[in-house]
Amino acid sequence: MRSTHPPGQENPLLSRTGDLSRRALLGALGIGAVGATVGAWPRLTGTDIPGRNSTSLNVAILGTSADAAARQALVDEFTSLHPDIPVRIQAIQGADWRDFFSKILTMVAAGNPPDVVYVATEGAQLFADKLAEPLDAYVTRDTADIQEYFQDVHPSLIEAFMYRGSLYQLPLDWNAANMYLNTSALQRAGLDRPADNWTHEDFTAVMRAMKSTTDGSFTPYYWTNRLFGGVVPWLYANDTSFLTEEKAAGGEWLWDRFYAADPTRAQRSGGYLWEAPNAESPRVIETFDYLRELVAEGLGVRPEGGGGNALVGLFASSRIGATPAGGYWVQGLNEAGMGADDFDVQFFPRWRTQRHQFGAAGYAIMRTAKDKDAAWEWVKFCASKPAMELAFPTPNTTPTRRSMVNRSFYATTGPEHWKVFYDTLDRFPTSGPIPAPPQQAAVESALMKNVSVAVSGSSAQVRSAMGSLQRDLELALRSK
Amino acid sequence: MMSTPTLKSPPGTTTAAPSVRTQPARRQRSTAERLIAPLFLAPTVIGMAIFTIVPILGSILLAFFRWDIISAPEFVGFSNFADIVSDPTVRVSFLNTILFVVVSVTLQLGISMALAVAIQGRMPNWLRVFFRSAFFFPLILSAASVSIFMGYLFNEQFGVVNWLLSLIGIPAVPWLTTSGGAAAVVVLVYVWQNFGFSFLLFIGGLASIPKELHEASALDGATGWRQFTNVTLPLLSPTVLVASVMAIISALQVFDQPYVLTRGGPGDSTRTAVMVIFESAFQQLEFGRASAIGLVLMMLIMAITALQFRLSRRFVFYQ
Repeated sequence: MRSTHPPGQENPLLSRTGDLSRRALLGALGIGAVGATVGAWPRLTGTDIPGRNSTSLNVAILGTSADAAARQALVDEFTSLHPDIPVRIQAIQGADWRDFFSKILTMVAAGNPPDVVYVATEGAQLFADKLAEPLDAYVTRDTADIQEYFQDVHPSLIEAFMYRGSLYQLPLDWNAANMYLNTSALQRAGLDRPADNWTHEDFTAVMRAMKSTTDGSFTPYYWTNRLFGGVVPWLYANDTSFLTEEKAAGGEWLWDRFYAADPTRAQRSGGYLWEAPNAESPRVIETFDYLRELVAEGLGVRPEGGGGNALVGLFASSRIGATPAGGYWVQGLNEAGMGADDFDVQFFPRWRTQRHQFGAAGYAIMRTAKDKDAAWEWVKFCASKPAMELAFPTPNTTPTRRSMVNRSFYATTGPEHWKVFYDTLDRFPTSGPIPAPPQQAAVESALMKNVSVAVSGSSAQVRSAMGSLQRDLELALRSK
Repeated sequence: MMSTPTLKSPPGTTTAAPSVRTQPARRQRSTAERLIAPLFLAPTVIGMAIFTIVPILGSILLAFFRWDIISAPEFVGFSNFADIVSDPTVRVSFLNTILFVVVSVTLQLGISMALAVAIQGRMPNWLRVFFRSAFFFPLILSAASVSIFMGYLFNEQFGVVNWLLSLIGIPAVPWLTTSGGAAAVVVLVYVWQNFGFSFLLFIGGLASIPKELHEASALDGATGWRQFTNVTLPLLSPTVLVASVMAIISALQVFDQPYVLTRGGPGDSTRTAVMVIFESAFQQLEFGRASAIGLVLMMLIMAITALQFRLSRRFVFYQ
């Protein structure tokens, strides 16, 4: 750079040695600091936080940016119908639903809550109790528009999102804890697919047969330690649960309006209530003892916490004989290389009942939503059949609409007995949702903590673990 | 220190001009200096105030409230503290944390010191560089990623560790699903990932010990273990103090490894104090209770650190 100073005169910014002078340095630092402050002003003031000060309808989902991008077709379709309602999908990553809800709560605490959140059964009552807007008035107002949705969706799924007489979500996808079976493991054991009404004793016999015909690297029954698909399906099958299950009064406004002719109308309520622990009941202990025996005999794994990330790969490589899961597994197994005949699905085994556990999910409108009418339009649109066909093009979950769970949906992936998925609700209409009161996170922690202890030792250890679970649940349920 | 020459004029003379020129100049310089120091300190002070002091004060205040983020905070006095004292899970988690600190810090310092001493021995320079990098490398990895990976390795049914053990006839070990196994894996993963930092400190400490002292002790017949205990270790004691203070503070805050590997289980066997803080705040929505536990942990860290410095007066040797 050429100097602009006359020859012989000293550059005031440089010292005699040619180094930058202290004054110049301080000045440059000052300018730099001001520049950095100006540049970072949106971040310092939080105005660049996605969704803040935006007029768009912020819709939070559990997933990655790829999951948000996958919903773009849905957003485009909605925008074409409602050009005055801009929608922004905000993907929030989380290890599981509990993690996702924690992050939503953090957003609430930061004063930046989304307008609409995709909430699974695990968080349905937490949101209903503290965060979500009841849909009763909207559903009543738009009965003509929404009637067709209810006609296509099983009432058990709707009841799971009733809370103290009000409806908080329209479930869009769901999954029951059915039993996946590895066809090659069955064939090695010389067995056919078990009967629809197989019992837990039949299940034990199948697991024993599988184990006897394989080496040590094979595990007949793999299960995880969490609310869905862990110990709870066995508890339900044994006609019990670790929480006392009751039903709230109310909800007639919805059942009489949309499900008056349904054969299960009489059993419908204002929603489930889980307000007291039941861990020390004889049936709960009996159920845990059964699972402990499976583990002790080497038929089942000691369950680890978490969602079983490696499970698809292990099942697809035929190192697992059976595991409880729902329709969400089909696409994953297909992508992992399993053909339609390599696996099959059956109802969960019968014990005292054959009641199944299921989980579902749908959009909840936040009480703090900027424009609740706009949010309802999004919820209503997403529950329409064209929107659900856009949202669920492949069987990586089970759509709540019965009409979508058909042969063509499973044409390329299998399983052969795909009807099991929706038949679960029709055949066993008392099937219930994941027991998730508003204190779900604390309840799940208490359960996970004690399950692993209960099934890893002696029969006496089951009783002490249940005592511990009872105490932990009392603590978990005390606050609301 | 050189003294600054001053001009002193006898009374009544006219030689005051130089002092008139120098006095304002000195005032200007000292004023500038007074401004510069706070100016340079300001970013750190402001940063500390915003991100450390205010949150600590806020957390102390919050410990006396019940707050679930959504509803308004409710003053509950010392109820949160009484609650955590009576909660067996909190008590167990603190006990686990202290046991974890004892075992992991002992292993971390022992292994890192042994490796640092070994690497200071005779070996090609490229090999020394290789070992230094290899030992430090785990530290730069994400603790969560490492823990997920280790979870696969230690899986009872399908993990590589059990497969390797099976090759020598050892039956599958339930690493993550029994109390002892889970605790061992958490310690192992934590130490493996963190010993690199202490190792680096010891490398620096060993390099600062004058070679003459080792040579002199060798001439006096001290070699090997005797030289290590009588020369190296005393001279390394200031580094040991720093390394142990940092290792203990870090271990008292362990979270990632037990959370990802075991979620605190089986039972409460690997549940740590910070895990209970996280669960109270972000899962049970009891932010006041979480703050109270955090406050107790902070006091524990301060007490242990103060004790270490107190003991250092007796055991640390400064050259």
